[in-house]
Amino acid sequence: MKLKLIVVFAIVIVVSAFQYESEKPFVVPKNWPNPVYNFKLNPLSKNKIELGRALFYDTKLSRNNTISCASCHSPYSAFTHIDHALSHGIEDKIGKRNSPALMNLAWQTLFMHDGAVNHLDVQALAPISNPLEMDESIINVVSKLQNSKLYPRLFYKAFGDSVVTGERTLKSLSQFMLTLVSCNSKYDSVMRKQTVFTKQENSGYQLFKQHCGNCHTEPLFTNNLFMNNGLPIDTTLNDVGRFGVTKNANDSLKFKVPTLRNIEFSYPYMHDGRFKKLSEVLNHYTNGIKQSKTLAHELKKPLNLTSNEKVDIIAFLLTLSDRSFLFNPKFSYPKTIFLQAAKD
Amino acid sequence: MKGKLVKVFVFMMFLCEFANSQSNTESITFNPTFADKQINLADSSFYLRDSSNFQIEVLKFYISKLQLLKNGKVVFTEKHGAFLIDISKPLSCKINIAKYIDFDAIQFNLGIDSTINVSGAMGGDLDPTKGMYWTWQSGYINFKLEGKNNLCKTRNHEFQFHLGGYVSPFNSLQTVKLPVKNKSKVVIDLDVKKIIENIDFKKQHSIMSPTSDAVCFSALVAKAFSIN
Repeated sequence: MKLKLIVVFAIVIVVSAFQYESEKPFVVPKNWPNPVYNFKLNPLSKNKIELGRALFYDTKLSRNNTISCASCHSPYSAFTHIDHALSHGIEDKIGKRNSPALMNLAWQTLFMHDGAVNHLDVQALAPISNPLEMDESIINVVSKLQNSKLYPRLFYKAFGDSVVTGERTLKSLSQFMLTLVSCNSKYDSVMRKQTVFTKQENSGYQLFKQHCGNCHTEPLFTNNLFMNNGLPIDTTLNDVGRFGVTKNANDSLKFKVPTLRNIEFSYPYMHDGRFKKLSEVLNHYTNGIKQSKTLAHELKKPLNLTSNEKVDIIAFLLTLSDRSFLFNPKFSYPKTIFLQAAKD
Repeated sequence: MKGKLVKVFVFMMFLCEFANSQSNTESITFNPTFADKQINLADSSFYLRDSSNFQIEVLKFYISKLQLLKNGKVVFTEKHGAFLIDISKPLSCKINIAKYIDFDAIQFNLGIDSTINVSGAMGGDLDPTKGMYWTWQSGYINFKLEGKNNLCKTRNHEFQFHLGGYVSPFNSLQTVKLPVKNKSKVVIDLDVKKIIENIDFKKQHSIMSPTSDAVCFSALVAKAFSIN
């Protein structure tokens, strides 16, 4: 009898160990660089990620409880706000930029199009307090969460006591966002030698490496730098980009080089969403470059691409779509948590 | 058995008592003044040289990396990290340190250094809910002084000086070092008059981002600390 019990116990342990391995919330994909985020200061845990996910989808983060992070970063569009050149926030107020797509954030050094935010943990403070976005203060958010029925319970599960603090709220949001890793596109399968590109995709890939890969560096498809890609300034916005943060003239009109992963789903393009289609983006790089002092040296000579070559590059860009990322149930609206809270 | 337990219990009680009596600390007090007068927010109206009326409503600042020195050598570093000194909360103006440390000088940072500034969300006095963190651009506000001056051409004659910035050339962090004569009762005065007497309130009433003005202003604040 005793022996039987021991055997059963051993099996349970082995099985649950495997389970644990397969459910690791964050894994560095093979051949990717090391993440920038310091996980030691905020070790991931299932309950903290769940809490962060609830916070990400909760409208309590806004002044009148109407806007959540997901309002402008919806999962099915690679966590951005599609269809709007400039994203809109509370009371349909229009911001001055297109919300960036969220993925692979553990590898990002600075946040926002101009790098005004220096760490993922403090990123959420910007939209929460922006009068055009959520128009709320972190102090109020913390008190709203503390006085809710749901959150003291979730904080208890995550931290061992039910006290809501700014630090815990922000770090939990980080935990959820860190899990948003997109690494299963067709491109990734090709790199892992599990499949091959079509002839057209391959031609596009070669052209991409030659013309675009310098700044949209593989495998993250960004070099994380701020560059002026020759967009003529929109005089209705007069957005000077990175200069606004550093006050250094050399940074004028520079914006963060965005990742191109899931670009099929994250339209419109550029910091102000001025291009609706990828073909417009490529036409900009061949015909639309505006010369200026801070223009990226890679673009001093506009790209020289035939229309067939542009089509090939776009065919390649579509291989960066990662449906297992876009439709991952772990990233979607936490129905069960909120439903339970509504019942209570 | 029972008797033994009771004995152990009594012994432990004694130990606790002993530990308590030994763990006495002494405190360093920050004391904001206007010239010789202690500032009381309920009655914080002062007249300046130009006979303008000056009123303080908020005075908060971070003290970090507090160290005690003896003959120029660091003998103690406060590990707690940072303290938010808020004149509206008298308890926050006291920092406890261990007794029996022999020192003749005290050194601290006015503000938060760049390492902490780039290390993500922090708790305690550094929690962003303390109202000392910029949201639209990352970084701690090292020093906040708000109030009214009838010379300010602003709404309700308000002025707001929020000093911060951790990136060169607008790094406003200041290191303050003060000699200590009587180490049993260290009171560090911060004379607001010294900070503002050179400010032309007609022209300058708002600093709310990392700028060269913020750096200059921070240097003025650092010079306004003293120990009598």
